[in-house]
Amino acid sequence: MRHPEFGTHHVESDSSADIPHSALRTPHSDAPSPAIVTQTISLTPRIDIHASGANVALNRWPNIECSEIEASIRVGTIPSWKPGWGRVRTVMLTFPEAIQFLPPKEDADNGELQTIRPPKPKRDPEDGEGGSERKKPTRLKPPSDALSLEDRLFYILQPPLETTLAGQELIMPFEPFPHQYEGIGWLFSQKHALLADEMGLGKTMQTITAVRLLLRSGQVRKVLFVCPKPLIPNWQREFRTWAEELPIVTVEGNTERRRMIWSMPGVPILMTNYEVLSRDLSEMHEDDRPSFDLVVLDEAQRIKNRDSKTAEVARDITRKRSWALTGTPIENRPEEMASLFEFMEVVPPNATPDLKQLSRLADVYVLRRVKELVMKDMPPRLDRDEFLEMTPAQNSAYRIAEKEGIVQLNEMGDQISVANVFELVLRLKQITNFDPLTGESAKLDRLVADMEEIASSGGKAILFSQWTKVLDWMKPALEPFGPLIYHGGVPTKKREPILKQFKEDPTKHILLMSYGTGAVGLNLQFAGYVFLFDRWWNPAVEDQAINRAHRIGQKDTVIVTRFISKDTIEERIDAVLRHKRAIFESVLGPGDKTNVSLSLDAAEIFGLFDLKAPAGKGSRLKKVAPKIPPESEQDAA
Amino acid sequence: MASGSKDRADSLRLGFLTAVELQDGGFVGGLLVTDRFGRPLEFQCTTPVRANRTQELLYGPTLVPFIVGELIGKALTDRITIKPTLLLSDGPEMLTLREHIDAPVLCLAGSDRAAAISTPTPGLDADGSTTGSKVTLGRVEFQTHAEFPEDAATAQQLAQPIDGKADLSEPIERVAEALKETMATVGGKPKVA
Repeated sequence: MRHPEFGTHHVESDSSADIPHSALRTPHSDAPSPAIVTQTISLTPRIDIHASGANVALNRWPNIECSEIEASIRVGTIPSWKPGWGRVRTVMLTFPEAIQFLPPKEDADNGELQTIRPPKPKRDPEDGEGGSERKKPTRLKPPSDALSLEDRLFYILQPPLETTLAGQELIMPFEPFPHQYEGIGWLFSQKHALLADEMGLGKTMQTITAVRLLLRSGQVRKVLFVCPKPLIPNWQREFRTWAEELPIVTVEGNTERRRMIWSMPGVPILMTNYEVLSRDLSEMHEDDRPSFDLVVLDEAQRIKNRDSKTAEVARDITRKRSWALTGTPIENRPEEMASLFEFMEVVPPNATPDLKQLSRLADVYVLRRVKELVMKDMPPRLDRDEFLEMTPAQNSAYRIAEKEGIVQLNEMGDQISVANVFELVLRLKQITNFDPLTGESAKLDRLVADMEEIASSGGKAILFSQWTKVLDWMKPALEPFGPLIYHGGVPTKKREPILKQFKEDPTKHILLMSYGTGAVGLNLQFAGYVFLFDRWWNPAVEDQAINRAHRIGQKDTVIVTRFISKDTIEERIDAVLRHKRAIFESVLGPGDKTNVSLSLDAAEIFGLFDLKAPAGKGSRLKKVAPKIPPESEQDAA
Repeated sequence: MASGSKDRADSLRLGFLTAVELQDGGFVGGLLVTDRFGRPLEFQCTTPVRANRTQELLYGPTLVPFIVGELIGKALTDRITIKPTLLLSDGPEMLTLREHIDAPVLCLAGSDRAAAISTPTPGLDADGSTTGSKVTLGRVEFQTHAEFPEDAATAQQLAQPIDGKADLSEPIERVAEALKETMATVGGKPKVA
C-alpha cells in the first residue's frame, strides 16, 4: 500500500531541478502558486509497514500544532563596563600670610590728598588706543637655586610686577623703567644677590621696591640695611619716596640707645652704617646678636678686603638672605668679588675661585647693567673739555714751581719716591686752579661767565673739586649765584637741608661739592650742569660725580664741563688717561668702562715729568692714585 | 569705600582654573585662588588624569569636557580649602563644572579654544559661538554656561571691587605656567599646540 507523505516543509526556491519528482507532490499540489515556487522537502521518517493489522493509525494525518516558544539561550555581555574613574589626586600649595600695611588713602575725592598713580606708559601713535597696554608683563622667575617644586611654584604664581605695582596696593611715585622691573623681579627671587648696576640706574629704588614686595608677601619680616654714614640720609629720603609706608629705624645715639634699638622687636627695617655695625656687633655676645631675614650692604666694595673687621662682622650676621649693592664690583682685581661672594654665602669661607669660577658665579648671582645699554631714551650727556689759558700770574707761578720741583726731584737721585713726584703734581694742580699769591684764576673767570648764563635761565649747576679749600675760596666770587657748599667739613646733620635748599630755592644756582663727599649716592637730577673744576685721578670717580646729575629722573641734556689748564700737568694727565681709556674700551667694549681702574701707576706718574721710575720704586701694577679719601681727609694732600 | 563694600571686596576670592593636555595623553588641572588684587592665596593641581582606550571610544567627543570639567574641575574645587566665590577659566570645556557647584563658572569669550572646539560643549554651539551670556570683568570678556545665563549678572556684581583695567586672563596664564613647571619636574611634557 501506498500512503500519502506528510510532514512537508515549504522552502522558497527558484529551482527544483535536483528534487525527485515524487517529492514534489503535496496534498495541495493543485493550489496555484504564481510567484513562489514551492519545494517540498520530505520530513517523513522511513517507516516499514508490516501486515500485522496493528498500524491503522498510521493512515491518519498527524495532528500538528504551532505555538511560540522562548529561546532558551541568553546573549552574554562580556566584558561588562561601567564608567568608573579613579579618584583624582591633587597637590596643594599655600602661600605665607602677608604683612598688612595701611590701606591706600581713600580721600582722593576730597581734593586734598591725591593718590599718586604711575604715569600712563607712552603710547605709540601707530598702536592706536590701548596698543601699549598689552606690553609684556614682568613675571617673577624662580631663582636657579630654588630646587623644590613648591619654591619654584611660589614665584611662578606671583602676579607680574606691573600688576602689583600698578597702584592697586603699592603706590609708586613714578613708573619704573623696564630694566628696573627686571631688577626688582630678580632681587625679589634671589637669596644671594649682587646688584651691580652702573651708577644712576636706580639700584636704590630697585632694592627698596624689592624689599617692599618681600615684606608685603611675608617673605621677610626683619631687614638690615648697612651703608656708608654719609648715605644714610639719602637712603631715608629714598625710602620716604618709594615706600612711605615702611617704618625705618636708624641705629644711632649712644651705646645704650643703640643696644636697645638692635634688640627692639617688631621693627621691619633697621639701618646703620659700617662703623656702627662693626663696633656694636663685635662687642655683643654671640647670643645677643640680632638675626635678620635679609641683610643689604650698600657700597659693598667696603667689604672687598675679606680679612677686614667690617667684612668679618658682616659675614657673621645671622641672616637668610644676603644682598650686596655696588656700582663698582671690581675696583682693581676680579678677586675682590670673592669677598662679596663669601658674604653672599655662595662660596665657602676663604675660597679663592679662579676667573672661570668667578664668571660662572657672576652669571647666577650678579646683575649688572650699564647705562648706555639700558637707558637709550635717557637725555644725552654732553661733555665739554675746556682747555683754558692760565692768567699771567698763574702761568708765572706755575712755571717757577714746575722748574724748581723738577730740579729738586732730579737732585734726589735714587732717593726719589712716588710720593715726592705726587707732591709736586698736587702743588702744580693747585696752581692751575688759582695763583696762591694774587688769587687770579682763569678757571674761576670762566666759571663765573658760564654761571651768569646758567643762572639767568634758572638753571642749576654742581661743581666738583678735589680740595675743600678751593671750594671755600671760590664761594665769595660766586655769591651772585647763591652758592651752597657740601663737603666733608659740613656736619652730617646740616647736609640734607643743604641739598633740599639747593633743590627748592630758586636763588641757589650752584652747589660746590668735593669728590669724596658728593660723588657717591646722591640724587641731583634736577641739575643740568656739572663742572669739574679740577680733575680726579680716575675717570670712573669723575663719572660717579657726573652721574649725580645724569641719572634717572633727569629730563634734560646734562652738560659736563671739564676745566683743563693748557700746557700744564692737567693736560698731560688728561692725555694719559684718555689714552688708557681708549685701550680699555678697545678690549672691553664701550659699554662697561667703570669696571676697570684707570688710575695712574707709578711709572706713569714719573713719566709726567719725563722722569724714569727707579727700580723698585713702583711697579706698573701698583696704582698710586689715591682712592676717594674719607671726607675728613680731603685736604690732607 | 564704605565698610560694607570693603568687607565684600576683602572677602572676594577669585578662582582661576585651567587644564593642560599632556603630550602622552591625559590632562592636568590647576586652580589658583587669589584675592581681588591677584595675589595668590592657595594653589591646587591634580596629578595627570588619563582616559583608557575604552573610555576614549565610549565617551567620544564628550571626553574632554568630562575629564576637564567634571573630573578635574570638581576635584579641585572640592579640595581647595579657600573656596572661590567666582571661577574663571580659559577653556569652554570647564563650563561643565558649573553643573556641579554653586559658584558661577565663566570662561574667556572668543578664545581660540572656544572657536576651535567642535565637540558638544555646554555653553557653546557647534560652530564655537556661545549661547551663554557674556560679561566684561576687569578688561576681559567672559561667557557663562548656556544654562546659567544669570551667572553674568552675579559675576559682575561680585567683581565690582576689581579695577576696570585688571587683566583677569593673566592669572590663568600663571596657572598654566605652574602646571607646565610641575609637569617638567615630574617628567611629563605638555602637548605643544
